[in-house]
Amino acid sequence: MSVTVQVADDNKSATIKLHERFDFSLHSDFRNAYKDITLLDGEYLVDLSGTDYLDSSALGMLLLLKEHADAQLSSVRLVGFNDEVREILNIASFDKLFQMG
Amino acid sequence: MNDLQHHGRTVLVVDDEQSNRLLLRTLLGRDGYHVIEVENGEQALDAINTLQIDIILLDIQMPVMDGYTTASIIKQRVKRFIPIIFLTAKTDEASLVKCIEAGGDDFLIKPFNYLLLTAKLNSLLRIVSLYQDIEEKNRSIQQHNLQMMQEMNVTKKVFEKVSKNDMRGPHTGLKYAMSPMSMFNGDVIMAEKNQTSGLDLMIADFTGHGLSAAIGAIPIADVFHTMTRKCFLFTDVLAEANNKLIDLLPTQMFMAAVMLSVDRSNNILSVVNAGLPDVYLYRNNEIIRSFKSQNIPLGISKMSSSQFEVEMQPLEYGDRLYVFTDGVMEAANPQGEMFGRNRVLDAFSEDIPGDDLFDSILARCAEFSDGAEQTDDITLLELCHQPQVSYPHSAEFSNEVREPSNWSLQFDLDIKSLRQFDALPYIMQAVNNLQPLQSGRTRLHTILTEMFANALDHGLLKLDSSMKDSPQGYMAFYQEKQRRLEQADEGSINISLEHTLQEDGRGGRLTLTVVDSGDGYDYRALDLGNNNAYSGRGLKLVSSLCTEMKILGKGNVITALYDWQADLS
Repeated sequence: MSVTVQVADDNKSATIKLHERFDFSLHSDFRNAYKDITLLDGEYLVDLSGTDYLDSSALGMLLLLKEHADAQLSSVRLVGFNDEVREILNIASFDKLFQMG
Repeated sequence: MNDLQHHGRTVLVVDDEQSNRLLLRTLLGRDGYHVIEVENGEQALDAINTLQIDIILLDIQMPVMDGYTTASIIKQRVKRFIPIIFLTAKTDEASLVKCIEAGGDDFLIKPFNYLLLTAKLNSLLRIVSLYQDIEEKNRSIQQHNLQMMQEMNVTKKVFEKVSKNDMRGPHTGLKYAMSPMSMFNGDVIMAEKNQTSGLDLMIADFTGHGLSAAIGAIPIADVFHTMTRKCFLFTDVLAEANNKLIDLLPTQMFMAAVMLSVDRSNNILSVVNAGLPDVYLYRNNEIIRSFKSQNIPLGISKMSSSQFEVEMQPLEYGDRLYVFTDGVMEAANPQGEMFGRNRVLDAFSEDIPGDDLFDSILARCAEFSDGAEQTDDITLLELCHQPQVSYPHSAEFSNEVREPSNWSLQFDLDIKSLRQFDALPYIMQAVNNLQPLQSGRTRLHTILTEMFANALDHGLLKLDSSMKDSPQGYMAFYQEKQRRLEQADEGSINISLEHTLQEDGRGGRLTLTVVDSGDGYDYRALDLGNNNAYSGRGLKLVSSLCTEMKILGKGNVITALYDWQADLS
């Protein structure tokens, strides 16, 4: 699986881990990873440590996740990104939309 | 079940012996096949040309044209798949191999077992069905492709109409390169002349490809051109474009963009970078400044025009600005390596004449990718700040002709309104609706802009216009203006416009009065004949553009008369 997800026992956080490239090919895998998860006032962690590249459709997928989280009064935190991925996130000013690190 | 589906299929029986043909016709006919009989290869070819044949039973030894020749001609000439079963009396391996080599799909040895024959017929006809399915699907895919191309062309035409201003050329200093179908990769460039005869430019890159990107681009181009022509500030244009995209686009889609605005009156560049790679300013053979993205791309979250991070920079003639979309950075070579920012920067560090830089960057990028297929579109733009500019056809406004009439308008703006928005485009819009001034519109806009700026900057905010003497000072002036505007807790500006018909009815006089609530100044002490008497260039410009200008009250009231003649021809 290129996208794995783990929900914490207290139901307060869910960690979505990406492996390899994060691009349009993961569209449905990424969505399926969180679509049935409901956290209340919790946090979605997106672990990008296995990712060395993301494209603009990946940014779009993160926005979809944010929409999902917002509806549950939850936040999204991006963690584990390398410098290249950080630069892509910075160019899109995603630090203004997501918790980082 | 399968047999049923083969009923009605047409079998061509090719045999010179009548008894063989009769036997096959009887047996196959009884099982529901439609049978056509011919006596030799030549007749078989004729039958295939004129009739819809599904499968062929072919004898080998026949007069005129034998089975082998017939089979190989059929396989060469006929594009669709018609299986051939050889019926042969020869049992030696070489003959049977020859059957297959000539193009036969199977063979049966005479005297044949009818059960075996129908089994083979059915098996091959199933393959025919598969072929036909695939052909049918191919046809429908081709048709869909064709339809999509046509729809894209229509969209492209609509888009071209919306953004018809191609401002490229030596007279504008603008160069850019995009592939012809690039809007379907989501890249868009829009340009429009602004009030200072500089250019406002928007370079945008939509997420996604194809029609979905074009659908977003069309309303944005409309917003950009319409609002810029109506003299809205570029930050207002961005805010409106952002709102429109939030309404239109699904969550995962957005538009990364750079907005450039060149103020030619003061030689100041303003840059808003919302999600595109760094914008470079090149002067004297080096990059002297890069403008990083500091804004969220458009179409994601609500923004007011004052929330955009704007960077300003004084310009000198000969300065060159470069904007890229990430297609340039991500152009890959056959090994999958990306062109990257460093290779872009290398192009600038070489000693290349400014005029050749643009082509040199493109050439480097093309050379690097070495024919590898592009995954994203490559858009590169260069804007050179040059002493002289002229535009191919200045984007004039809709010249509706109305008969002159009498009317008046009054706008009273308190400090909150002054803080929150730029009222001038709305006032100009109102004037233009009541009384289109034809060619005088730009002139009237300048008069009004300068009177308003004078009232706000000097009357109300008491800024020192001598600050604006240098480009650096202009930016300090601008920042100080913002600061004072935020802090002021009272003050107002009243603008009134009154239009009266001239006696001959062929023109009118517009009286503009701008009153500010400031303390005024002792204008009587100043010599109005002296050009330096006015505070700054603004009012000097006003007095040169209008019929008459007066400073009244305690120096806080300015009235300008503007006479115009209708061209009712």
